[in-house]
Amino acid sequence: MLSTASVAARAPCGIGASRRQQRGAAARGRRQFCLVRAAKGDVLLEIHDLQAKVAATGKQILKGVTLTVREGEVHAIMGKNGSGKSTLSKVLVGHPDYEVTGGSAAYKGVDLFELEPEQRSHMGLFLSFQSPVEIPGVSNIDFLRIATNARRKAAGEKELDPLEFYAHVMPKLEALNMDPAFLNRNVNEGFSGGEKKRNEILQLACLEADMAILDEIDSGLDIDALRDVSKAVNGLKSQQQDMGILMVTHYKRLLDYIRPDYVHIMQEGRIVTTGDMGLVDKLEESGYSVLSSSA
Amino acid sequence: MASALAQLQGCAQLRLEAQHAPSSRCVAPAQRAVQQRRLQRRGGSGSAAPAAPRATAVAAAPAAHVAAEDKWIERTLEAVVPDSASLPAPLASLQSGCLSALATARMPTTRNEEYRFTDVSPVLQAALAPSAGPAAAPAAALDAALAAAGMREAAAATVVVVDGQIDEQRSSLGGLPQGVYVGGLAGAPQDVVSFALGAQSRARGGAFALLNGAAARDALVVHIPANLTLSGSIHILYLSSGAAAEAAGQAALAAPRLLAVLEEGASAEIVEEFASLAPADGTASTAGTATASKDGPAGYLTTAVAEFELDDRAALKHSYVTLEGANAAHAKSTLVNQGTESSYSLTEVRVGGRLTRHDLSIEQLGEATQSQMRSFLLCGDGQLHDLHSKLKLDHPQGEANQLHKCIVSSPSGRGVFDGNVKVNRLAQKTDAQQLSRNLLLVPRATVNVKPNLQIIADDVKCTHGCTVSDLEEEELFYLKSRGISADVARQMLVYSFGREVVQCLRDEALQARVEAAMRRTLASFTGAAQ
Ligand SMILES: Nc1ncnc2c1ncn2[C@@H]1O[C@H](COP(=O)(O)OP(=O)(O)O)[C@@H](O)[C@H]1O
Ligand SMILES: [Mg+2]
Repeated sequence: MLSTASVAARAPCGIGASRRQQRGAAARGRRQFCLVRAAKGDVLLEIHDLQAKVAATGKQILKGVTLTVREGEVHAIMGKNGSGKSTLSKVLVGHPDYEVTGGSAAYKGVDLFELEPEQRSHMGLFLSFQSPVEIPGVSNIDFLRIATNARRKAAGEKELDPLEFYAHVMPKLEALNMDPAFLNRNVNEGFSGGEKKRNEILQLACLEADMAILDEIDSGLDIDALRDVSKAVNGLKSQQQDMGILMVTHYKRLLDYIRPDYVHIMQEGRIVTTGDMGLVDKLEESGYSVLSSSA
Repeated sequence: MASALAQLQGCAQLRLEAQHAPSSRCVAPAQRAVQQRRLQRRGGSGSAAPAAPRATAVAAAPAAHVAAEDKWIERTLEAVVPDSASLPAPLASLQSGCLSALATARMPTTRNEEYRFTDVSPVLQAALAPSAGPAAAPAAALDAALAAAGMREAAAATVVVVDGQIDEQRSSLGGLPQGVYVGGLAGAPQDVVSFALGAQSRARGGAFALLNGAAARDALVVHIPANLTLSGSIHILYLSSGAAAEAAGQAALAAPRLLAVLEEGASAEIVEEFASLAPADGTASTAGTATASKDGPAGYLTTAVAEFELDDRAALKHSYVTLEGANAAHAKSTLVNQGTESSYSLTEVRVGGRLTRHDLSIEQLGEATQSQMRSFLLCGDGQLHDLHSKLKLDHPQGEANQLHKCIVSSPSGRGVFDGNVKVNRLAQKTDAQQLSRNLLLVPRATVNVKPNLQIIADDVKCTHGCTVSDLEEEELFYLKSRGISADVARQMLVYSFGREVVQCLRDEALQARVEAAMRRTLASFTGAAQ
């Protein structure tokens, strides 16, 4: 039913839900196809005038966010603490703390807010959480396998048994410079900040998302960890060039590793400025205060 | 958490009492001087000289003539008390003490504060008879139960106790290091038994512990000599045949008893596992237990006592698991004395049984002593599990850590917890933590929880908490955001809630048995098992 909706909505673009299967096509032809498409890039995520409040308190956080991410594009959102970056990220994946009060968000042409969080994941939308929750008593490898299989099942692919999954996850673990011992620990339990971020990216790698929202994957990382994590993200991106990325960060150093096509500045629940890396340099020099005058 | 609580009160008949006596509201410290008692030093420790039958004549009245104020006690004693002449001398002496205490005792009712939420009257309606014992139990059923238990090969010893009596044939005690004793009273080191058997239960045991002392036919004794580290666990499998020795229609009573003494610097791991010969789901097995039907009036009662004496620097890891059948009532007393710098670590998992009650009493008798308690109780259809724990710290630099977790998965299930940690005036620099987490999965599921940290010392570090909730919203969402369906996510979290404790059991086969029992209990809640 989902994929039907998806096909119908996407039909005008001429590229159907079979895009995921196409990914497995011959590499050479595929790369060319991507290059061609990178220029026009189909719209992956289209957010229009999105407004949301905290359900429990009624406090309005998002006050009209508009943003479009096309396939293959990398976007960065910067902004002061409390400007609503994490709220935007979580609203997009359906976090129950928030209530959408206006505007729209379409992913692959489908109204996101009509979908359960797990359905959004099945369609390839992924959020790397700023503060991932710890789940005592659930082993990381069981969790990763169940999640991977849920996505594979939704895509009509064969589910992996524990042994197959082990083989599937090991190279991804290596790419992230993660100790295999992490697989047997409980999900995020007792992980350091950096280990949690690596674990988020490991999930991104397992789930082979089409649109990755990365909320402060650089905070709390030392320089080695930052390099590992960025390298892994870039690795995933090169395997799957039309993956869209929306990253939230405070720091230029992340953007030196993962180069954004667009940089947005968020302030009080709105995107007030959009530019390119030049905007980041300007920001480094004069801080957010300069921008507020131009807002 | 407040919101979770508020939200839950709407749908669950929830009773929560949390009480924290701050140091400003000083409670007079208990004045019982006996608490300063140190473990007695005994000569020739480790020399497992068999106990010569003691000359002391215990003038125990023939059981049939026992008079007691409580009519149920009187009737029961008449039926279940063994002839003292048939008992090893220390047990005969214990029996006579218990009988005289029982003469004026009353079985608890819900009017007793200690049993306010735990109604034992259904148990007390049954006419009790002694259990059949290993000789009468069908060999095939016993062997099947043993095979199902798949005892860990690495165990230092396995002891099979059927209806309170050691089944020598099915136990395996071969590989124990010299000086270690594991076995019945008859061959146990006499000095150990005479100073310790019944010492704690007499002082701190309740009515069910007295009943055990009156009805026990033997005691399993574990003695670890000084500075010996036993590798591998001592795994005690208590099986209930559920069959009364005499007439049908009577409930069988089993009274297994354990005494474990760890000398200075000794360390060991003891697993107590309680199971039925009938499978835990209550369906009658092919052999032997057809008479003990699930809904029959009979059922059976196990009243077990375990006494642990840890001398200075001794370390004990203790696992206590109940997987008994749906017709089982189970009352357990665990009593622990801890010497200086000793450590006691309990992992408790209760899944089986219709009504189970654990009275746990730990006393720290020296400095820098560690006590750890982890409990997981799963209350399904018609099940009540009750933990009453008392931990007393009287000396400086003690550590206490208690985690209590309870799931109630049925409207007819109930969990009861009363956990008292008392940090007395002299127990300065104590580090005490107590946390009770309760998960009510359905409307009208009930817990009555009273974690209770009393602090009289002023230089201490104590934390204390209690939550009653549904599944954690944030964890559920995290799993769903990874594409895991709401149903599967709920299942994963329910299992994981218990697993935090269950995985401390360290014995994978035992963990698997526990998880299988959990799946049966939770099947009605989660639908298909995971
Ligand atoms: N679940 C919530 N409950 C209450 N307030 C919230 C919640 N989530 C976000 N907020 C508030 O919304 C504002 C924006 O927060 P957030 O989106 O986390 O900002 P950022 O990620 O840009 O630092 C802050 O004032 C924050 O306190
Ligand atoms: Mg944030």
